[in-house]
Amino acid sequence: MIEATGVTKSFKRVRAVDNVSFTLEEGDSLALWGSNGAGKTTLIRCLLGVFPCKGQVKINGIDVRRKGKHARSLVGYVPQELAFHDDARLGASMLFFARLRRVDPSRAVESLERVGLTGHEHKRVRDLSGGMKQRLALAIALIADPPIVVLDEPTSNLDSVGRGEVVEALRQLRSSGKTIVFASHRPDEVVSLARRVLIMEQGRVVRDTTPAALWPDDAPVVTMRLHINGNREQAAATLLREAGHAVHLNRSGLLVSVERHRKAEPISVLAGASIEVRDFEVLDDLPLGERSPDEIVISKNMKEALT
Amino acid sequence: MRRSVAIFIMLTLCVLSRALSAEPIAPIQSMIDQAGDHERVVIPPGNYEGRLKIMHPVVIDGQGKVTIDGGEEGSVIEITSPDVTIRGLHITGSGQRVSDEQAGIKSVAGPVTIEDNVLEDVYFGIDLKQAPGSVIRNNTISGKDLEIGRRGDGIRLWWSHNCQITGNAVHSLRDMVFWYSEDLHISHNTVTDSRYGLHFMYSHNTVIEENDLARNSVGIYLMYSNNIHLLRNQIYNNRGSSGYGIGLKDDDAIVVEDNDLLANRVGLYIDNSPSSIDSVGLVKGNRIAFNEVGLLATPNTHDNVITENAFIENEEQVTVHGGGQLSLNTFASEGRGNFWSDYNGFDQNHDGIGDFPHAPSSLFRTLLARDPNLRLFVHSPAQQAVELTARAFPEISPKPMFTDPAPLASVPVFKDGGDAARSFPMPMAALALGLLAVAAGAIWRLAGHDPCRHIWAQSSPHIKQKVQA
Amino acid sequence: MSTMSMQTDQDQSVPKMQTPQMPGSHLTLARGVLAFAGREFRDAVSSKWFLLYTVAFSVLAIAVSFVSLAGSGAQGFAGFGRTAAGLLNLIMLIVPLMALTAGAGSVAGERERGTLLYLLAQPISRTELLLGKYLGLAVALCCSLCVGFGLSAAVLAWRAGGVGIGSFLMLVLFTCVLALSMLSVGILISVMSRRSGVATGLGLFCWLALVFLSDLGLMAGTVIFRLRVQEVFALAIINPLQAFKMGVIVNLNASLDVLGPVGMYASQTYGKALPWLLASVVVLWVLLPLMLAIVLFKRRKGI
Repeated sequence: MIEATGVTKSFKRVRAVDNVSFTLEEGDSLALWGSNGAGKTTLIRCLLGVFPCKGQVKINGIDVRRKGKHARSLVGYVPQELAFHDDARLGASMLFFARLRRVDPSRAVESLERVGLTGHEHKRVRDLSGGMKQRLALAIALIADPPIVVLDEPTSNLDSVGRGEVVEALRQLRSSGKTIVFASHRPDEVVSLARRVLIMEQGRVVRDTTPAALWPDDAPVVTMRLHINGNREQAAATLLREAGHAVHLNRSGLLVSVERHRKAEPISVLAGASIEVRDFEVLDDLPLGERSPDEIVISKNMKEALT
Repeated sequence: MRRSVAIFIMLTLCVLSRALSAEPIAPIQSMIDQAGDHERVVIPPGNYEGRLKIMHPVVIDGQGKVTIDGGEEGSVIEITSPDVTIRGLHITGSGQRVSDEQAGIKSVAGPVTIEDNVLEDVYFGIDLKQAPGSVIRNNTISGKDLEIGRRGDGIRLWWSHNCQITGNAVHSLRDMVFWYSEDLHISHNTVTDSRYGLHFMYSHNTVIEENDLARNSVGIYLMYSNNIHLLRNQIYNNRGSSGYGIGLKDDDAIVVEDNDLLANRVGLYIDNSPSSIDSVGLVKGNRIAFNEVGLLATPNTHDNVITENAFIENEEQVTVHGGGQLSLNTFASEGRGNFWSDYNGFDQNHDGIGDFPHAPSSLFRTLLARDPNLRLFVHSPAQQAVELTARAFPEISPKPMFTDPAPLASVPVFKDGGDAARSFPMPMAALALGLLAVAAGAIWRLAGHDPCRHIWAQSSPHIKQKVQA
Repeated sequence: MSTMSMQTDQDQSVPKMQTPQMPGSHLTLARGVLAFAGREFRDAVSSKWFLLYTVAFSVLAIAVSFVSLAGSGAQGFAGFGRTAAGLLNLIMLIVPLMALTAGAGSVAGERERGTLLYLLAQPISRTELLLGKYLGLAVALCCSLCVGFGLSAAVLAWRAGGVGIGSFLMLVLFTCVLALSMLSVGILISVMSRRSGVATGLGLFCWLALVFLSDLGLMAGTVIFRLRVQEVFALAIINPLQAFKMGVIVNLNASLDVLGPVGMYASQTYGKALPWLLASVVVLWVLLPLMLAIVLFKRRKGI
């Protein structure tokens, strides 16, 4: 359904997407996962042929670069936040997209109904709540009933209620057999929607895996996040590394992977060097939303190094 | 189809038979020759082909039913005797040899009276040589289809004093021209689509009154002619390469009064008039409007009194050929100047005279006088920009070309000589409505009404129920 | 209704692998363009700039009509010719400003707001998008001009009678073409600029250059280098505003003699072909910038 080979996109000197290749079968669902700036959004734009990229993207066998218009007619796109003329009325916008996609205007009605926006036709886009906007975006994406839906962090600007709505809608889409590609940095979304995950870092795909492999339900090894007063962090990291632990220092704290039953060990090592640990969390016990994608990848790597 | 062919053939036959039915002129010629002196000869109605020569005093009357076709050769009627009257003839087809200036009616003696004739397809129209005291009245003259420089004159007087030229209409010829002819009265003539409407060469002491001169190269051109009174003429749309409404070249004692000079290239052109030292020219009470240049004068022009004229919306009101000032002329007489539509002042004491003098200076005009190519840039914002710059920096503003010390505060009342027909405003109103309708229609059709209303109305009943719930 | 109800019909739940019929490119191009044009027109007509310009142009056009009629008297000479001259100046000031700023804001504005990206992710080509925008703005501009001219014509009908209908209609037509050419230039600027502020700035500069700087420069050149008439003419008609002005005057007077020696030269040299020559200059200014804009837009590496 989607075939990407060697997709590369550079802006000035930065390589936003670097030699990404993957193939996605019909009905599959793929998550692009990584922190901000990892290149997810740019990759999605390359897939849509919004701007020229090196490499090749084929959608249903159609080259996006040569026949972008044709290829895009197979894809419904939901942006991070619907950027559409704020003054436009909802109904008029739907009608515009129906005309653009060359489907019967009645599809506009149906599509709005699908996402539960019937009755809001005369509202202006700017008067919609964030969740409604995203539902509108979804309605627009689905107006021509395309086989593929591409979403760029569709829930990033929503509260938890809105998020739930969108995730639920997408789950139904998936079960209706659509091929789905979405970018996200929320593990819960990835787990509940994706069958495959591409982990991106600095434009590259660093891992092509499944959610189950990333977040196994019970881990013998856990990663701890230690909060240490700033000036001692380096010293603490060195100390722990000397003690044989896998250590990673980042903005939110010091990450240490240990077996679950030896959790107290790093703290006591540090206490021995009179470095005070203000607080600590066991990363694996935190809800998915409170872990950054970086931390998850790092902890995964550290755990693998341990075992 | 067949019927129309039949009609066409019949028409052709009619025309042919008419042409064929043209009678020879010889019997008429002998009729005239045999008539007694001063006898009235009424020519039987009909078409005659050939030329007439009138050699003794006689009154020839065609009563408007006689056509004489000269057969494109020589002058159609030639008069060699005084006291001849030609009346009510339709004269066509003179020759067009340049050397003997073949004409519709040519007279080498005077006085003659030529009235109520129609002359068509003639090289010269009416040509009088040494025919003093003649009257040319109510003739209509049009020329051959020639390029303007190769046409003959509509009416020409040569050494013919004391003539009256009134009520003639000349179009598509060269000039109505007067050589060495004095004490004329020229009134109520119309000259259109010709070269010079009225052209004076060395012809003095004449009144030119209430003529209509339009679409000629030049309306009236007086050269080396003195003591001429131009009164109440309508002169408009004369836009040839010189394009003067009235041109005065080396004339003395000219009075230009109460004329309308409208939409010519140059309203009034003065070239060294008056030319004598003690002579004065008077330009008074004229309406000089909508010309490219209202008054154009050569720099040596002096001793003209220009007063009580209305200079209205001329592209350039006054300019000096090649640049300079008109300080040797006066723009007011007895405390009354001219009306200037571009006067910036006020009349706060309501005496009808502007409170400060009108002394226009325009940087763009000055530049124009220096390089006429710059005229390309009139009617453009750049022109305005130049003027604004000059106003902002007075040091680069040029000296005023002239000063009117007592500009009139309001347009003088004119005795209007028949308005140009005001066409019915209906079409313009329709155009206005049409344009507005186009705009309103497009906006309503494409943007005004909710384009989805009918779609939402179509949506299935259960949705509506849901919405209501 | 608060939560999403994904009502997947049975027949729609089967994923469709239909290969969409290959678009018959010209027809679909036209339809995409029309869809865009309609939206652009609606947006333009309901926007503030449209209202502002329409009101400004109308008020000034009416004022000019009144003023130039004020001194006319009964002769009927003042009727159209003078109004046209007054209108001409007004048109050359305002219409390019309208069209340039409208064009300059179009693509750059959408780019800045992020809506352009969303539109480009839809199944349309960049050419369609640009042509659609162009068409919509063009119709909106022409509507705006029609309002101004219509009101001006109403004043003329009321005060001066029906003079020069044909000329007036030609003036409207010519002005619309001028607006289209300036819109092309505006769109070209817009395609090249990343931010709408920059685009508007460039548009204003362009306006200044076309309306004032090029004429003033050419005036200076004419005086300083003593350019010959044919040179002045050739240089002048490169500027679409000059070509427009000459076109209007030719249409009014059947000759360019009003414009002095250069105009006479043009009338004599080109004769009957002159209006066509001038019109084609303006039309070229419609087509070339627009085509260049399309090419640049398609070649753009970013959005």
